[in-house]
Amino acid sequence: MNRLRFWTLVPARALNFLFFLVPMGIVVLYSLMTRGPYGGQAPPFNLDNYVRLADPLYLTILLRSFWIAGISTFFAMLLGFPLALFIANSGKSRSMYLNLVMLPFWTSFLVRTYAWMFLLRDTGLINSGLMALGVIREPLPMLYNDAAVVLGLVYGYLPFMVLPIYSTLEKLDPSLLEAAADLGATPWVSLWRVTVPLALPGIVAGSILVFIPCLGAYLTPDLLGGGKSVMIGNVVQNQFTTARDWPFGASLSLVLTGLVMVLLWLFVRKGGDKYL
Amino acid sequence: MNLKRTIGLIAAASYLFLHVPLLVLIVFSFNSSRFTAWEGFSLKWYAAVLADERMLKATWNSLIIAFVSTIFAAAVGTLAAYGMWKKKAPVLEGSLYVSLITPEIVTGVSLLAFFQWLFHYMDVRLGMHTVILAHITFSIAYVVIVVAARLKTMDGTLEEAALDLGANHWEAFWRVTLPNLIPGVIAAALLAFTISFDDYVITAMVAGIDSETLPMVIYGMARKGVSPAVNAISAIIVVGIGVLIVASERLQHE
Amino acid sequence: MRRRTFFLGLSGLAGCTRGKRRLNVFNWSDYIGPNTVPRFEFEFDCEVRYHVYESNEEMLAKVFSGNSGWDVVFPSNYYVGPMAQTQLLAKLNHSKLGNINNLDARLRNPVWDKDLEWSVPYMWGAAGIAYTTKHEPAPARWADLWHESFKGRITMLDDAAETLGAALKKLGLPLNTADPEHLGKAKDELIRQKPLVRAYLNAEARDQLVAGDLLACQTWATTASQAIEAAKHLAFVFPAEGFSVYSDCAVILRESNEQELAHQFINYLLRAPVAAAIVNHSKTATANGAARAMLAPVLRDNQVLYPPESVLERGEWFAPLPPGAQQLRDRMWTEIKSA
Repeated sequence: MNRLRFWTLVPARALNFLFFLVPMGIVVLYSLMTRGPYGGQAPPFNLDNYVRLADPLYLTILLRSFWIAGISTFFAMLLGFPLALFIANSGKSRSMYLNLVMLPFWTSFLVRTYAWMFLLRDTGLINSGLMALGVIREPLPMLYNDAAVVLGLVYGYLPFMVLPIYSTLEKLDPSLLEAAADLGATPWVSLWRVTVPLALPGIVAGSILVFIPCLGAYLTPDLLGGGKSVMIGNVVQNQFTTARDWPFGASLSLVLTGLVMVLLWLFVRKGGDKYL
Repeated sequence: MNLKRTIGLIAAASYLFLHVPLLVLIVFSFNSSRFTAWEGFSLKWYAAVLADERMLKATWNSLIIAFVSTIFAAAVGTLAAYGMWKKKAPVLEGSLYVSLITPEIVTGVSLLAFFQWLFHYMDVRLGMHTVILAHITFSIAYVVIVVAARLKTMDGTLEEAALDLGANHWEAFWRVTLPNLIPGVIAAALLAFTISFDDYVITAMVAGIDSETLPMVIYGMARKGVSPAVNAISAIIVVGIGVLIVASERLQHE
Repeated sequence: MRRRTFFLGLSGLAGCTRGKRRLNVFNWSDYIGPNTVPRFEFEFDCEVRYHVYESNEEMLAKVFSGNSGWDVVFPSNYYVGPMAQTQLLAKLNHSKLGNINNLDARLRNPVWDKDLEWSVPYMWGAAGIAYTTKHEPAPARWADLWHESFKGRITMLDDAAETLGAALKKLGLPLNTADPEHLGKAKDELIRQKPLVRAYLNAEARDQLVAGDLLACQTWATTASQAIEAAKHLAFVFPAEGFSVYSDCAVILRESNEQELAHQFINYLLRAPVAAAIVNHSKTATANGAARAMLAPVLRDNQVLYPPESVLERGEWFAPLPPGAQQLRDRMWTEIKSA
């Protein structure tokens, strides 16, 4: 192999090693320690924190988190793929449309979430609008349920789906679609048989980029879900904040990471590595 | 059903979905009440922002951090994605994925512990530099994934042809592969910028005395209720960027 | 070595002027007046870096290492003891704190720091029930938040200590209990209440109370007094069964190289006119008794921020918990929220 290939990896390796792997080593160490009397971590070293994890309570929360993150990823794909296709097909205005997708993300996540809370609550814009129009009499309960959490997650991570798909579709050769049309394929058929397969690496990358942060989300379930059904991200967050139980939080997050890595590994084994 | 129209319809609905909350916050930035109930038109929150040195300084810090870390992350990440193209680098790839999966609070705490341990032996404190290093590190994974997805759709024969014609590896990369990668790099940089600009959890952990960012100011208000001045500064940023986007579009068409 | 100069270069860029004494202060958000710090800088010819945090834990994570760079921080009362025991705090020199007698008599000898060896109370607050007077009957006890008539129109705080605290008080049990049996009962109460609860929210409940989505919510007196100021149909009650009280206190870190200036700063904050100006801006409850007389009348006579002695007797201070109890409470809180 050529030397350029080697050197291109050096900066990423160095930064990743120094500012991710070494700090993560500290986390592994923490996970084997015991919570100090006032937080922090102290010897003795043991596996108690991992034993504490084998609790049906945390298992249920974990399953629920996978479910919510999965649904959110699905909806993000449903919106994100057509949106990316639209942008890729909009000729010279591409960059404008792409930048317009990113525009909301120049504001704070918290501020956007508060805006959704205002839209969805009983005296919010949607409910009062519908009531003024006489469509409904009682406000619809739109806030503080799982649907609101999914909505918030899709909203928060939609660009993570759109950008990778767009970057694969952007170079899609229009002559391919013309060829398909010449061969008698309807637009829907060529979408399914030509465009989707070509965009697959982007769709897979996007799904991973959406699924993973959804799995660890903690603010959206708190604010849009009203804290009534916790996700695994909330449990981890709690250990490092109010509970001040860093060793337990460390072991929890390592197990979560391990689980997702196993899933990714299975995906690669099944031939998914073409897209990774 | 007409495909083109369906796609257009979904895209329009998506833009509505994305921008409705922005309209809400712009409207409330003109509300005279400090609550989310309309009371009357007022510019007082804009006056409050302009008088709030802390918020302006924090916004400036956020922009610098996002700008510097995006440039570094885009460069380092693009090079790495190129390095992993065709020839796998399983350890780096695996650890980049782990960095994506790790909950932010854990990344933040681990970096804080690491810096505290490191700085014990040096006369250095937490500050802008630690925030920027942290942001570069977590952004690399996003850049690599987006750029790698783009590389997957490229065929390598073009580069080989350049090599056959006598270009060295560096020239082949710089002249042939990279120009083809640019849309992917731009998409990745946009992603990295917005993640960095909005990050709170990791930033708050590794920030020092001179490095307060806008998200830190905003989250700091959460305990007592976020002031509509935050809506005002968000509106200024969003409208400013929006005008820039549309203006640059106009310029390109001329 | 090169790396080190790189770091130093960057922190140099961040702008520190040499020569003047410099104090680094880390405080809760919204706890200072607009002129408080500039006037101190002018009078004592120094430079102050003033930054804010949102939770005790965020501040503790930073100062735990002992080389954070902060001089003065403001932990809540239940962290003063633990911080002193882990050698993080410097002992206060009362001869340099001449204004300490301005403190409210109630806070001059508090349970968590008997002779104010380590800390000076700065602000304090309590949790109770904010409600709309349009709903009859008005809540007066924690138990009222378990009434069917509030179904779907109340919120509880998203804070394990406060929410478990409300349930414990409802049951007549101590706020800081470590007894698993007590905690188990409180957990059952909260799970029983959950179908009535719209959400677990902190400051976010305020707007919904003002707008009328909510009939009542568990909240802090400071948050409630903001809401009441905006909407006259709202009121606040300190529940009859008792309620939680906290105080945020100024402390000097042992790592500080500016002990003298840090004392001067705390003594400056203790001046009655300074404390009054801060509270006129922040609209919180000051620990400075002498300052209270100087407040704007609306604040001075605000019964939500400054309840009468007869009410305060029902309050109970938060206290540090043994590690086992903390873990148990966290697991129960997770169980309640995922029930």
